[in-house]
Parts: sequence; structure tokens; C-alpha cells
Amino acid sequence: MSKGKIAIVGIGEVPTGWYPERDEWDIIYDSCMEAVRDAGINKNEIEGVLCSPAVGQARLDSELVFGKLPEELGLKGCKDIASVNAGGSTSANLLRVAEQWISSGTAKIVLLMHATKYSSIDPNDLIKTFATAGMSMEWEYPFGTTYNGMIAMSTQRFMYENNITAEEMASIPVAFRKWAELDPNAMFRKPLTVEKTLSTRMISTPLHSMECNMLADGGAAIIVTSPEIARKICKTPVYKLGEGSRYCQATITQRTSSMMDRMYREAAAAAFKQAGLSIKDMSILELYCAYSLLMPILLVTLGVCKNGKDAVRFIAEGNTWPGGQLPCSTIGDALSRGHTGSGVGFAYLVETVRQLMGKAGDRQVKDCKYVMMNCAGGSGMNMIFEIFGRNS
Amino acid sequence: MMTAYIKPLPVAKPWSKKFWEAARQHKLIMQKCSDCGKLIFYPRKVCPECWSSNVGWIDVSGKGKVLMMTTTIAGVEQAFAPDLPYVLAVVELEEGVHMMTNIVDCKPEDVKIGMAVEVVFRDCTDEISLPVFRPIQGRGSER
Repeated sequence: MSKGKIAIVGIGEVPTGWYPERDEWDIIYDSCMEAVRDAGINKNEIEGVLCSPAVGQARLDSELVFGKLPEELGLKGCKDIASVNAGGSTSANLLRVAEQWISSGTAKIVLLMHATKYSSIDPNDLIKTFATAGMSMEWEYPFGTTYNGMIAMSTQRFMYENNITAEEMASIPVAFRKWAELDPNAMFRKPLTVEKTLSTRMISTPLHSMECNMLADGGAAIIVTSPEIARKICKTPVYKLGEGSRYCQATITQRTSSMMDRMYREAAAAAFKQAGLSIKDMSILELYCAYSLLMPILLVTLGVCKNGKDAVRFIAEGNTWPGGQLPCSTIGDALSRGHTGSGVGFAYLVETVRQLMGKAGDRQVKDCKYVMMNCAGGSGMNMIFEIFGRNS
Repeated sequence: MMTAYIKPLPVAKPWSKKFWEAARQHKLIMQKCSDCGKLIFYPRKVCPECWSSNVGWIDVSGKGKVLMMTTTIAGVEQAFAPDLPYVLAVVELEEGVHMMTNIVDCKPEDVKIGMAVEVVFRDCTDEISLPVFRPIQGRGSER
């Protein structure tokens, strides 16, 4: 029996970066039109539209929630539109809603999109938005919490528990950059070294500026339909084969590393079980890490490495780089790609499809059959693993 | 003389008012469920374990150790900029709960994971004193 209940048949994406002259609706036009053309469909065949939240951009977010997109783009066959917000785990939830719309007959073909423009927002307002987004205004914010600070604390703890040096941690942004060097849509593409990473300004110990992500503009779109329609209209449809998720608490003080380890393992096991596949079947792991820390943690969770020390060594030795034995995070993660609010998980979804369709250019992983990706919202309030493949 | 406090103050919930009243008296208290016995932090309207409304308050030791820490050096809101560098930390109390806080009264580079700390209160306004922690003199770190 076929496991795939939905298939992706088209993708579109604009470069991520700092583009103050590019209007947010330019991003939406360009990425949605590219996805429709890539799918080879007529725009009026789109029956449903699902939008990501424009985090920290109240104007654009309200325009999307108020249903402007189908009108602006002239989608004459559109039956409904909705916004879905699960922070950094939005892309996986857009797909869940798309699956329901498709299986229930609400819409045969659905457009999913994300657009973000931070370059026109005052930097102090951006810092404030992300210092307070989701933070407890009572128990965290008064102490001067920042996202960099939260991740910095967890990173320091990880280094302490696993006896890892600053040099070893700095090999992770380098591994991300190896892929970004090959990615025309990445924000930072110049070659990076461990020495260079450690020579940048300290932001929040142990994180240097090159280990903290930069907010950026960007956007993308995909076309989703049923496997039956996909086989008729697309030579290389990409099927969603399995997923697993766990809720991990919203606040850092309510978590422990052993709780997170258990939740991640359970979520991954559920995804593998649903897909009927194992880690050995994966051609690529599209690990959405946001910062360096999650990459070694996920490599341990997924059973690729025994412990944190091994995982960092595995990365430093180039095993996750282009040409390595297990390509990981082939858009260079948020550190090299740029952080687009709720959009990094969407960018990973687009890249997953691109690799499985064989359209990844210089980054193409040979004979790519199955890809696992993950995404998470908030400061790690959940963890979702998804598995995609060329065969249903 | 106390200068005006410009940093954000905690926005208290109705069920956490007692916590802040005690903090103003430089006492650290926690909710405890009178039905299931769970120690609750941060304060909730009902016990998150069993949904009992029968939730009381107990004094806690105010002693614990640094579980996680970072020295914040850059990238903060203007209100926090005069404090840079400052230590942001999660402290594990002897009673087991974790609190976000700052480590004070020492050099940032001297703060280590596992270090023994005790609560002190930062008087911000007439109503609000924030629980922060300082190293316990003469007690080393766990490692």
C-alpha cells in the first residue's frame, strides 16, 4: 500500500538576504509564480492557499490573514485560504492542513507560502521583538534574556557535559558554510574557517557572532496535491512518507536535557515507523538547527553518533559536508542561509523537495532517494521529524 | 539614592502576586500543591500536575547551583546595555526547581556551571524585588 497521502509537485524561492528595496509582495509574487510554473499547472487550478505567519511583521501578517493573496495573484479557482502558525515548525503544519484539505476534497491543489521582510524594520525593534517573542514577561524577560543567550546557555551546558572545546564547536558553522558556498539563495557564501569563526566578536559566551544567526528577508512557495494527480502532472513528484512529533515545553527552565533526548527519540522513531524506513535509508538529513548546538544533538538522537563528542568530531571531519558520507543541512542552516522568522523550516522543505527532484544544482546529492527533515517552534517547544521520498 | 529603574519589570499574574510580595520582603517562596504535593514553579492558577485549586505557598532554601550560564556581551535591548557584561543563568534550587536569573556580586568570568549560589534580592521599585543569585563564599563548585 502506498504510504504517501500528499505529493509536492512544484517549488519556488527567492534568495534569502538583506534586500530593503525588494517589497514583501515582490517576494510573494516571485516565489508563488515560480512554484506554479515549476509545477506546470495553471494558476486557476489552485483551490487552496495556506500561508505561514510573517513573524514580527504585523502589516504583512494581517494582509495574509485577511486573505489578500488569491485576490492579488488572481487565483480564480481558489476556494479557501488560511494562515497556520506554529512558529519555526509551521512548514510541517501547513503540510498537515494541506493533507486534510486534499483528502477531504476541500481542495485538489494547494499553494503553501512563506514571506518575510526584516530589512525595513528598525534594528532595535527587531531586537525587542525577538527578545520578547514567546518569552515569559514575568519569569525570563526581566533578567535580560535573548535568544542568543538562551542558546548560549544550552551550548555551554552541552560543552560542559561532553567535554567539547570552542574550536570543536566552531567546526559546525564551517560545515554549514560548505553547503552555503554552493547555494545561490544563501545570505553568507564566503568560505569560513574555525579560526575565522573564533575571531569574530563574542556575543554571549560561548557564542561568537559567526555562531549567531542573522535575521534576513526571504520567501518560498510549494504546490501540493494528491499522489494520483501528482503522477499525472509531474515527472518527479515528492511524497511525504511519515512524520512524528513531540511537545517539549515552552520555557527553557521547564526542560531537562534528558527529557529533550527522550522526546526527540520518540518523535524520530514515530516518523521512521510511519515511513517504514530507517536512518540507513536516508540520503540526506536536512537538520534545522538555527544555531550550531542542535546539529550534534540530532546526530546523537538519530543514532548516527554515540555521544555529543563523537557527533562534533563527525561534523569536524567533514562527514556532513558536500561529498561527505552523510550530507546534512544542505542550505547551510540559518547561520549561513539567514534567519527568516518562520521561514527556515519552509526553506528546508523546499530544499528537501529540490534534492529529491534532482534540481539542487551544485548541491545535488547523487541518487537521492529519501530525506529526513526536522523543524521546531519557539525556543524548542516541539520537535517534528518528517520523511520524504521519490517513491510513494 | 536609588536611580530610576529602566529595565522591564515582571508582569505579574493574579496567582503570582504572593511570590512578588514575598520577594519584596526578600523571601523566596514557591507554590506547593496541598493535594498531590508537587512543588510548582513558575506559579500557576491550579496545580499543573493534578489541576487542584488547593495550592499553598512554602518557604524554600534559596540555595542551589548554577545549571546553565552565559555572559551576555552584546545584542541586547538598550535598557540592558548599561549592565553589559551580565551573567544570565538557570539556577537549580536544592528543592529541584529551575529558575531563570542573573548571577551577581562576582566577576562574570568566575561564574562556573555547578557553582553553589544563594538568592539575593535586587530592589527595583517600591513593589518589585527580583530574585538573583550570588556565589556562596567558601563553597566551591561541584567539579
